[in-house]
Amino acid sequence: MKCHEVTERFPDYLAGRLDETEQAAMQTHFAFCSSCREEAENLSAFWQRLEALPEEQPSEALRARFYAALAAYQQQLHAVARPRLSEIFDGWLARWWPRQPAFQFARAMLFLCAGWFFGQRWDADENRLSEMSQLRDEVSSMRQLVVLSLLQQQSPSERLRGVSWSYQAELPDTEVLSALLETLNHDPNVNVRLAAVDALSRFGEQPMVRRGLVASLAKQNSPLIQVALIDLLIERGERQAVSTFKQLQANEMVDKAVRQRIEFGIQQLQQD
Amino acid sequence: MNSPTDELLMRQVRDGDVAKLGLLFERYHRPLYSFFVRLVDRRDASEDLVQEVFLRMLKYRHTYRGESRFTIWMYKIAHNAKADYYHKRKRATPLPEDEAEPVSQDPIASESIEQRQEIELLRAALDKLDEEKKEVLVFSRFQDLKYEEIAELLGCAVGTVKARVHRAIQDLREIYYELSSEGLT
Repeated sequence: MKCHEVTERFPDYLAGRLDETEQAAMQTHFAFCSSCREEAENLSAFWQRLEALPEEQPSEALRARFYAALAAYQQQLHAVARPRLSEIFDGWLARWWPRQPAFQFARAMLFLCAGWFFGQRWDADENRLSEMSQLRDEVSSMRQLVVLSLLQQQSPSERLRGVSWSYQAELPDTEVLSALLETLNHDPNVNVRLAAVDALSRFGEQPMVRRGLVASLAKQNSPLIQVALIDLLIERGERQAVSTFKQLQANEMVDKAVRQRIEFGIQQLQQD
Repeated sequence: MNSPTDELLMRQVRDGDVAKLGLLFERYHRPLYSFFVRLVDRRDASEDLVQEVFLRMLKYRHTYRGESRFTIWMYKIAHNAKADYYHKRKRATPLPEDEAEPVSQDPIASESIEQRQEIELLRAALDKLDEEKKEVLVFSRFQDLKYEEIAELLGCAVGTVKARVHRAIQDLREIYYELSSEGLT
């Protein structure tokens, strides 16, 4: 054993943790090297000298404080018995979660890749697509419900909102269309009825709306609505409206301007 | 004879039987107290630190895995608590009262004058020793931890610990003889 090897072993020598072979090798070295021997003896003596430092005794207050804190903690634990489950779960998670940042990173990457992989498959799944369209249908029917409920409101402005909400429905179902026709025929407010004409004009292709509009013309008494309906029917080239037009034209009670408009309309429709 | 091991007790504490921490307190509050007194040289602060260590054991009990000796885990907490204590003390403006209750004010009656002087000299020398060196020296000389265990709890190489212990005992010896030649009484 050389001097530096001996020096390296001083800490183990002091703590008495050298095995017999090493101990013997050091003693052999000391027999020939007085400087190492002296250093070892000095350090060892000083290591022993530290023995003089007595074991320190804490006050009794420390024990009292500890048990008070422990009791408080236990009380808290019993008061909220449920969170213990989550703590057990946390502990379980903590034991699963690696402590090395490198492993944490690796695991996070693994989850990310797995997420991406399943995400790909998820997207490709046609069932998911049909679920999406189902969801879209649900939103659409929700909108229609809003329209229907707004059209029932007392306040004309609410009913107007109902009519304008109907624009959001891409293709309203018959219930909404008949609610709009109902509004057109019976709403006491002219503005609401006029808005209903506009809203229904978008769905003129629907047979139900076409018939409804023609039938409605006979029931209207406001010149404003009558003109709006006549214009719409002319625009759509609605030949079935001609007989209703003629009835109105024959009626002396109908506004003069309206009858003039009808005359123009009959010409237009019969021309086509 | 068949008293439960520290590791078993701590696992029970971890799993909700927190009353078992009382047994661990009885086993370790004195060694911990001595550890802190030797490091910070204050009785009041050392008691606070012991309390802090046991509170942290409760707080972080779910992180106990029981892979190595319980004492390593405990001293790791103690090491961190002590580091926080020094950190706080550095930031706080020291008051004259802060110097109250140094350990040397409380000599044990049965000691002779020479013994008392020797103890005071050793304490003064320890107090002057660099923090890092002092800690490894206390761990190995007084807390009976193996160098491998100290390395594990400090998160460094065993060689580093041994080198630090070697330098610590050399430095301490030097400081001790300097102080004794200055005639500290």
